[in-house]
Amino acid sequence: MSIRLENISKRFGTFPALHGLDLDIRPREFLALLGPSGSGKTTLLRIIAGLEFPDTGSVYFNEEDMTDLPIAQRHIGFVFQQYALFKHMTVADNIAFGLTVRKRRNRPAKQAIAARVKELLELVQLGDLGQRFPSQLSGGQRQRVALARALAVEPKLLLLDEPFGALDAKVRKDLRRWLRDLHERMGLTSIFVTHDQEEALELADRVVVMDHGLIEQVAPPREIYERPGSAFVFDFVGESNCLPVIVRDGKIRFRDIVLNVPPSAIIEDNAQLFFRPHDVIQIENADAALALKVAQSHLRNGYLRVEGHVDGLKRPIIIDLPPGATVRPRESVFFQPVRGQLFPAVEK
Amino acid sequence: MQRVATTESSLARWLIIATGLGFLGLFLIMPLLAVFTQALVKGFAAYTDAIFELDALTAIKLTLLIAGISVPLNIIFGLAASWAITKFSFPGKGLFVTLIDLPFSVSPVVSGLIYVLIFGAQGWLGPWLAEHGIRIIFAVPGMVLATVFVTFPFVARELIPLMTEQGREDEEAALSLGASGWQAFWSITLPNIRWGLLYGVLLCNARAMGEFGAVSVVSGHLRGETNTMPLHVEILYNEYNFVAAFAVASLLALLALVTLALKSVLEWRYDYSGRGSEH
Repeated sequence: MSIRLENISKRFGTFPALHGLDLDIRPREFLALLGPSGSGKTTLLRIIAGLEFPDTGSVYFNEEDMTDLPIAQRHIGFVFQQYALFKHMTVADNIAFGLTVRKRRNRPAKQAIAARVKELLELVQLGDLGQRFPSQLSGGQRQRVALARALAVEPKLLLLDEPFGALDAKVRKDLRRWLRDLHERMGLTSIFVTHDQEEALELADRVVVMDHGLIEQVAPPREIYERPGSAFVFDFVGESNCLPVIVRDGKIRFRDIVLNVPPSAIIEDNAQLFFRPHDVIQIENADAALALKVAQSHLRNGYLRVEGHVDGLKRPIIIDLPPGATVRPRESVFFQPVRGQLFPAVEK
Repeated sequence: MQRVATTESSLARWLIIATGLGFLGLFLIMPLLAVFTQALVKGFAAYTDAIFELDALTAIKLTLLIAGISVPLNIIFGLAASWAITKFSFPGKGLFVTLIDLPFSVSPVVSGLIYVLIFGAQGWLGPWLAEHGIRIIFAVPGMVLATVFVTFPFVARELIPLMTEQGREDEEAALSLGASGWQAFWSITLPNIRWGLLYGVLLCNARAMGEFGAVSVVSGHLRGETNTMPLHVEILYNEYNFVAAFAVASLLALLALVTLALKSVLEWRYDYSGRGSEH
């Protein structure tokens, strides 16, 4: 199912949650809404679901206007952050709920419902737990019951609000793969909200990065990481460093030092240079390099991770050096960024 | 015995316990025993005579009738109010929550007088009602109104914190699965709040049957017509008919005891199911 959002705005009281967003979601896409808390990502998901209604703009499913339709009539699957399983019902009754509440003429027969529940329990690998109550399940199992319940009504669109937020790291990893696999097999269009960039980059076909109720960038994970569309995206996704620089005559200068980074954008005068910790080289000549006063260093993923300060900069600098590098605490390491991206300076 | 930093010396401990129990005995258990001994002082026959006397039976019936009308009404009002307050946001919500507590903070006599002022012969609607031959004050409708007013907060007060804590997600999940609002209420909301609701109903009922002040103002004390049990007790007592007064009072005391017992059972269940649902 394709989804189109046009000019979606939403306010809660005086707090503006979304500012006129446009977004196209392709059929069978696995889309991540990524952003810090308060960025509006959950509000956007709830508007797509029909749990909130936008103040302006329209929501289309397959070119059909759904803007004013309540959630019950949108035929979507929604998985809540805390799963919202019905505590007083067994797992099987939870899963069957979407079928048993149907009007009599659309409701499958009892045996058909039971068969469907059994099938779904198999699908989420909880075959013999149908008669348990939600309180008797682990977090990962509850999550899968919530999924099975949402899938019981055969939605074409699956919406998930922080689906892995309440799980521990190991279970989270397994469930991610499994969910991606399920998405493929069932031919779903899926949208999930997360504040965990690793999750978004690993799982999604495309990532929507949001901040302060605006979409910063929509792109496949690699592009988000390698060609961030804004300073915010560069900073939010992956680790990064920021230097205030001056661009003149095709050269980037940090104070008196000419940096060996090709200018990536047409910006003159004041700018910010963002670079990843691993995009640096160590340099012997102190005059042509930045001096990083080392606060601490440790081995990390086969690199020597060095954290410290450059004189006059508030924000700490993090660089990764080859494991053989010699670094002493409280002494200086000299380095140059070799790759990076320019963004306009922040206006004061 | 395990010694803890907060443990007092044993003398202080016993003193505190004795004071507590003494107080309890003096002000709660002794009066309760007095009610039953006074009721039975002339034997069991006199006790049952007093209860099965015609006016007493009328009073019991009237009490049951008033409770039977006002408790269901307050279940509906209480559910509607807590539903509105916890599942929606609307302007004036804070004021609404405060207003729900009004009957708790107003003297019951004032609650009764309000209705006399509105519906009484000299009240705002009095002449119009008299013209149409509708009696509210000094009749059952007025007593029901006064009781509904006084017992309004019990169900709502019990449900609002409970429903606030439970949030809206369960209902939203039900709706997302295609349920109608009505289905979501019956199959999700109601089971989620059932113990809290029962608890509120119990307290509401105890108060509805025991209410004196507000009902007294609007009742008119017509013997055999507009006397509830508490009012009947007062009349008997004023007539120096102590055995009968205490006999009827003992029924109210029994109601209180049954309520207490049920309340404890519910609290235990409530707690139990509450803990079972924690993540």
